[in-house]
Amino acid sequence: MKKVTIDPITRLEGHGKIEIFLNDTGDVANTYFQIPELRGFEKFCEGRPVEEMPRIVPRICGV
Amino acid sequence: MAKLKLALYWAGACGGCDVAVLDVNEKILDVANLADIVFWPIALDFKYHHVEAMPDKSIDVCLFNGCIRSSEQEHIAKMLRAKSKVLVSFGSCACFGGIPALANFTTRAEIMERVYIEAPSNENPNKTLPQTKVKVAEGEITLPELFENVLTLAQVVPVEYFVPGCPPTVDIILKVVNALATNSLPPVGAVIASDKTLCDECDRKKENKKITRIYRTQEIIPDSQKCLLEQGLLCMGPATRGGCGALCVKVNIPCRGCFGPPAGVADQGAKLVSSIASIYEAKDEKDIARMVNEVADPAGTFYRFGMSSSMLKRKRSQKR
Repeated sequence: MKKVTIDPITRLEGHGKIEIFLNDTGDVANTYFQIPELRGFEKFCEGRPVEEMPRIVPRICGV
Repeated sequence: MAKLKLALYWAGACGGCDVAVLDVNEKILDVANLADIVFWPIALDFKYHHVEAMPDKSIDVCLFNGCIRSSEQEHIAKMLRAKSKVLVSFGSCACFGGIPALANFTTRAEIMERVYIEAPSNENPNKTLPQTKVKVAEGEITLPELFENVLTLAQVVPVEYFVPGCPPTVDIILKVVNALATNSLPPVGAVIASDKTLCDECDRKKENKKITRIYRTQEIIPDSQKCLLEQGLLCMGPATRGGCGALCVKVNIPCRGCFGPPAGVADQGAKLVSSIASIYEAKDEKDIARMVNEVADPAGTFYRFGMSSSMLKRKRSQKR
């Protein structure tokens, strides 16, 4: 099965890649959208002072 | 002069550094006159295989922002290092770990658990976690490996210059552009900002006053003319490199520390603790204990942007 990889996805905020699998007749059999990045704001914000939140979480996306 | 070949990349980052490059407004046209951009995922459609195909040292300058937290980010860092004559660690995440390095107070396993299993927005009864390789009906798909620690760019590859800031200011970005245009780059290893502290460029009045308690920012409205630290607010100024133009303190917000430690200071957090200790007036042991408790989140405050490059680097394991 033929595979087409788009890596990285561009012109957006964030990281992503797309894997497209083609069948024997060249049609799309399946497509996978993958996020190859994780920073873990969900975890490392825990326990930080509440007044820090509006200043930490803008760094999730600065675009 | 032939046009320079310029690459910009984001590793573990928010995109704010990339946008900061565009904050130079019409001066971006000077950049366009000076350089051809050969790789910039946020703005242009080049793929990793395009970069791989470039000869070594064929990129004149690469501005690399973001921390290194995965095998992919490490791989791209090594690739761009090989392809670039000058590699610039651009922004606080690349230089010190930045906000994402607050993750060094926790572990990879705890992050995975929280993000993919516990988070209330998830429904994951089988407790599936991301895998580096997964067999699917059509073949195999892969993801990079998440590292245990957040690293700085310079902890992974050699770097020529450091441009701090969350994000780097327009003035500093233009300084870099002008240095490239006039071929007047500083000695390798230089930090493109001030060598002195933020206090050095802050025009607030210092009275060498002692403090008797520490306040959280929402507890007082500080005097806009006087030193914030002397008013009991945790201003990172004495432990932070200048060069930003004192942006935060000008709007009555204590310095956040995003420019990292000044020249000659190895550990930003330790330096701030020592600055506070020297102005804190404690009557007795009890007083000292009270003050320590007044700091809501000492580790996250003193190492807000700098955990990766600090002497500690990460929270130590409880087990021995």
